[in-house]
Amino acid sequence: MPPREVDLAAVKPYADHLGDGLVQMSFTLPVPYSLAARKAALELAAKMGFDQPEVVHYERLTDGYTYFVMYGRCVQSIDFTALQGEGFDIEYMTEDEVERFAAEHVGRKIVVVGASTGSDTHSVGIDAMLNLKGYHGHHGLEGYHAFTTYNLGSQVPNSVLVAKAIEVGADAILVSQTVTQQNLHVHNLTELVEMVEAEGRRQDMILACGGPRVTNELAKELGYDAGFSKGTEPQHLATFIVRELAARVAAPR
Amino acid sequence: LLLGELTASARRLALVGLAKNTGKTVALAALLRELQDAGRLVGVTSVGRDGEERDVIDSRIEKPRVLLSAGNLVATTDGLLSASGIPHNVLENTGVRTPLGPVLIARLRGHGAIEVAGPSAAADVRAVSDAMLGHGAEQVLIDGAIDRRAASSPDVSDGLVMSTGAILSADLEEVVARTRDAVELVRLPGLEDPLLRKLAERTHLRTGGEGAGHAPTVLVSADDEALELPPRFVLSSDPQTIEATLAANPSARAVIVPGALPEAFMRGMLPVLRSRGGELAVVVADSTRVFLSGKGPRWYERQGLRLQVLQPIALRALTVNPVAPQSHSFDSAELRGLLENAIEDLPIFDVRQDDYAGRAEPAESPS
Repeated sequence: MPPREVDLAAVKPYADHLGDGLVQMSFTLPVPYSLAARKAALELAAKMGFDQPEVVHYERLTDGYTYFVMYGRCVQSIDFTALQGEGFDIEYMTEDEVERFAAEHVGRKIVVVGASTGSDTHSVGIDAMLNLKGYHGHHGLEGYHAFTTYNLGSQVPNSVLVAKAIEVGADAILVSQTVTQQNLHVHNLTELVEMVEAEGRRQDMILACGGPRVTNELAKELGYDAGFSKGTEPQHLATFIVRELAARVAAPR
Repeated sequence: LLLGELTASARRLALVGLAKNTGKTVALAALLRELQDAGRLVGVTSVGRDGEERDVIDSRIEKPRVLLSAGNLVATTDGLLSASGIPHNVLENTGVRTPLGPVLIARLRGHGAIEVAGPSAAADVRAVSDAMLGHGAEQVLIDGAIDRRAASSPDVSDGLVMSTGAILSADLEEVVARTRDAVELVRLPGLEDPLLRKLAERTHLRTGGEGAGHAPTVLVSADDEALELPPRFVLSSDPQTIEATLAANPSARAVIVPGALPEAFMRGMLPVLRSRGGELAVVVADSTRVFLSGKGPRWYERQGLRLQVLQPIALRALTVNPVAPQSHSFDSAELRGLLENAIEDLPIFDVRQDDYAGRAEPAESPS
């Protein structure tokens, strides 16, 4: 049988056949394990908009809590063809390509300073991007010829990070922050941008932020040149830095 | 008086919030309505992103739209410009790159809602604002993002509207206190001492200007001798070093800081100042260089640290959002009353209340 053509203007989840819209989901309800709990889950899934919801598994999690695995048919679709343009069509370079590109377009060591700022104790994201060990089998920037990296670790005050970046002549600052709906985390990120501005260095430094919830939209709002989220590998960050630096070298403002 | 009237003389007007969801974009929308009603040609840009349907961090929060009519100018990305569906002529590709794409300047040929995402960096904001004025805008509105202040520097803009709101704290008194501190910071007094002025002007870092970031911090003694401090002294010295440096220069009467002034440096100077007594002037280019989150400028002044600026910011008005989305809210009139008592000579508005003369839609009446 020839494969069916995917309708990219109306993309739906796929399980057994194209366009069936079938979704598997799991959640817990704070109600005791019972037939009433099962019924509640079915009604909730219907309210979520799922067609033909089905409980395929449910069990007592602990007293007063029930865990469900469900199927349901999603009736919505997404126009995938509209999701193109800036930020979507980036083709990342491999480590070797980054090295070649940097040698050709930048021609010197690119200095990157990274830290988890403010009260954030997580340095996992920064370590994955900067340290030799890297992430997912890909070297961190430390392992590239093109980069000189400084990883300041976690809980670094913004003023100290900015001072270090100035001291070593950083081309880019990378910060990691777990952004929540609390204003504090967001404030740590905006304060860094404002301090770089106050030092008169904003034009000289590429600012990138990373974290589980950081999108390009959020990065723009925060004043960064790029945002990196889950799934980012070191060569993605490296690609962005070398391209942006090359663009700045080519057209200084 | 209307916001639009109070701010009319600022050719480049910055809107800055004290936090997210303090109502910057609502104030922008009110201003745009008033200016467009008055037939003034405006240019709009944003250091973040404006007019998006939902909050970028908390998608439960719906955001106000930015409505522009034909003839007005906007600086936004190519993608957002086409997504608006408003017919327009592109006047210029600014060369500014953002995470959402390159920034263009366009003149609209129709009316509609548009998402605005202009340059982020202060120097680019100034350049793009000037470009819009050059293309015929009578006034440029620069919307802020979250709590970013750099665009309110006199190096960038000529006037400021500040926004505050319930989001700052669930405690009404705390909202008032933090707003008062922020207003005090923006209104730091201009530097009058002629010698200090001369020294400060010499090291003044224009935002994004030539040689920015290379000027030294200077300690000025009672007999007007200037001592250069080591690079990055203000940013990263530990308290012991700050204390030792001040103690070694007991006659210091001023410190001139060309770049950022973090609160840690202010705190580091306190012990020596307390033991020696007297005053120390702390001079910065403008208040966007000062980073205080603990105490306000007046508190530091009481400890003997007097903050002064080379260039004061013209604060024109304060807008208030009494609602913290998904959380709590205050009575608008009560909040504004308390703010009026705490802050002198500043028009305070809630542009969504009936008593605001420029309010958009009439109150719903249960007819």
